[in-house]
Amino acid sequence: MNKESNMTVLLKGILRENPVFVLILGTCPTLATTTTVKGAFAMGLAAAAVLICSNAVVSLLRKIIPDSMRIPCYIVIIAGFVTIVQMIMHAFLPELYELLGVYLALITVNCIILGRAEMFAGKNTVGKSILDGIGMGLGFTIAMLAMATIREVFGAGTFFGIEIPFLSTHTIDILIKAPGGLMVYGLLIAVVNIITKGKAIKKKEFSCAGCPSAGICNGGCATAEKEAE
Amino acid sequence: MKKNITSILALTVICSVVAVLLAVTNAITAPIIEKNAAAAADEALLVVLPEGEGFTPVDLTTYELPATVTEAFTENNGGVVVKLKTSGYGSDMVVMVGIKADGSVSGAVCLSSNETLGYEKTYGESTVGMTADTIDSLDTIAGATKTTEAYKNAVKDALNTAVILGGGSVDIRDEAQILADNLSAALPAGEGAFEKVFITEVLTDVSAVYKATNGSGYVFVSGETFVGTDAQGTVVSQVDATLSATIAANAQLIINSELTEVDLSGYEMPKQIEKAYTTATGNYVFELKAAGFGINGDEYYYPSGEHIKIKMSLTADGTIIYCETTYQNESEGIGSACADEAFYSQFNGKTAETYGDIDAIAGATITTNGYKTAVSKTFEAIKILKGEV
Repeated sequence: MNKESNMTVLLKGILRENPVFVLILGTCPTLATTTTVKGAFAMGLAAAAVLICSNAVVSLLRKIIPDSMRIPCYIVIIAGFVTIVQMIMHAFLPELYELLGVYLALITVNCIILGRAEMFAGKNTVGKSILDGIGMGLGFTIAMLAMATIREVFGAGTFFGIEIPFLSTHTIDILIKAPGGLMVYGLLIAVVNIITKGKAIKKKEFSCAGCPSAGICNGGCATAEKEAE
Repeated sequence: MKKNITSILALTVICSVVAVLLAVTNAITAPIIEKNAAAAADEALLVVLPEGEGFTPVDLTTYELPATVTEAFTENNGGVVVKLKTSGYGSDMVVMVGIKADGSVSGAVCLSSNETLGYEKTYGESTVGMTADTIDSLDTIAGATKTTEAYKNAVKDALNTAVILGGGSVDIRDEAQILADNLSAALPAGEGAFEKVFITEVLTDVSAVYKATNGSGYVFVSGETFVGTDAQGTVVSQVDATLSATIAANAQLIINSELTEVDLSGYEMPKQIEKAYTTATGNYVFELKAAGFGINGDEYYYPSGEHIKIKMSLTADGTIIYCETTYQNESEGIGSACADEAFYSQFNGKTAETYGDIDAIAGATITTNGYKTAVSKTFEAIKILKGEV
């Protein structure tokens, strides 16, 4: 059981345990949907909504779900929420639905959500799990927005679709392409490392024990072997 | 064992609950999604019918519509939107036409095409305001005749569709279909298979002759009337006595017409003359090759150029009886018009003095000039054959 205060649980996702820049989870949607701020914002909110709901339900059912069946159960719960979000967006926000395309459905296998279900919600109370979901969702959204702002402003010369004078005629095209995405991602990770110097979660703190695949891996991966040494 | 059962049970329950939740969400969102999709589809139709509202798709199978129509929608105020697929110059061209309740075109756009010149992108604007009665007067664009003609015909089909959907009736047959129907009506024994006869004799009051390919007889076109005869030239259609006698006389000329090839080796003929024939009545028939666009007049400068092949019949005194293009490979949509009856039939009845008074093919001066040069050589050839030069 997690002994951190509620405030710590809520806030750690924003910087200290930011899922994107510290835990390096959810890289695929981060790179794919941060070409526009609008897309990144929608993606962040959609993922956060699914994260909060799935965290709550997983935590609620943590004593009922048998240990050996937890991954399939988590996936069904997450997929259910993703589909609901997808249907709602299709009905009420068709423009964003078109914009996010396949990445919306791919939230199902977003490792942040599965990772939080496994690392946190499966072991903590409903209240804390919801706080964790809010914090992590917020952290994910902020990270997405940070990436997208840099990429859209300098790569396309616009912000939220609004043209920026001068920049719109002097764009750095590579930023809105995949290599540019990786570059910005790397730079932001570096920035976060500098800011949180020493305070960010250490890799070993979430490796193996906190790893979603720990159950299947049984200490067979490179990290586990290194740890064992 | 108990552990296994609990596992299965837990997963089954979770799956069932999720399924119920999804069903509920779907029940709420599906109608909205459907409504949005319909609105999006309507929006596309509004491009051509801006004041339209509440479009309903038409079941095409319940009406007999032009073959080009692929989709049709009616609208609350009586307007119609028709989608048509027609063949342009390059490949298929999809055109969408909006027609107001008063039967005039409110807009036309080309949704997909593969044309070379791009006239289909803007041609639709010129059809706005046209009705089924005025569409024929719309000009096609010279140099892009095939594209714009196809576009115009598509708009015409759309206007006809609107009339039919409104409960009216229109003749949706194209010209070829009308001709085929007239021929079959004049000579049912021809079973619908006819070919045009190359006329070598001077006929009275007849503009064209068709022969049934099964040998059952002929159809003579006199003005607007189609008159059928049997293989012996006896008139089988119900026409007045005067016309019947004229047609019977014409039929005898056609039936008895026989060509004798002239050996040209003894003459120094213009190079345009390939073959020459004489008829029993003293007329001449020539097979010509004309230098078209690819060859530029009389000079060969363009290796891939091909000659236009022409067949002509003339009286002994040099009046053109009949002229026909038998082969051409000129620029599609430009010089290729030399194969249109509208062009070559202009020479019928012309003489050495008047053959030049014809309308040139727009944008194809070299083709027209090459054609005219070849035609002019036939007058010379007749003089050579007669020994006058």
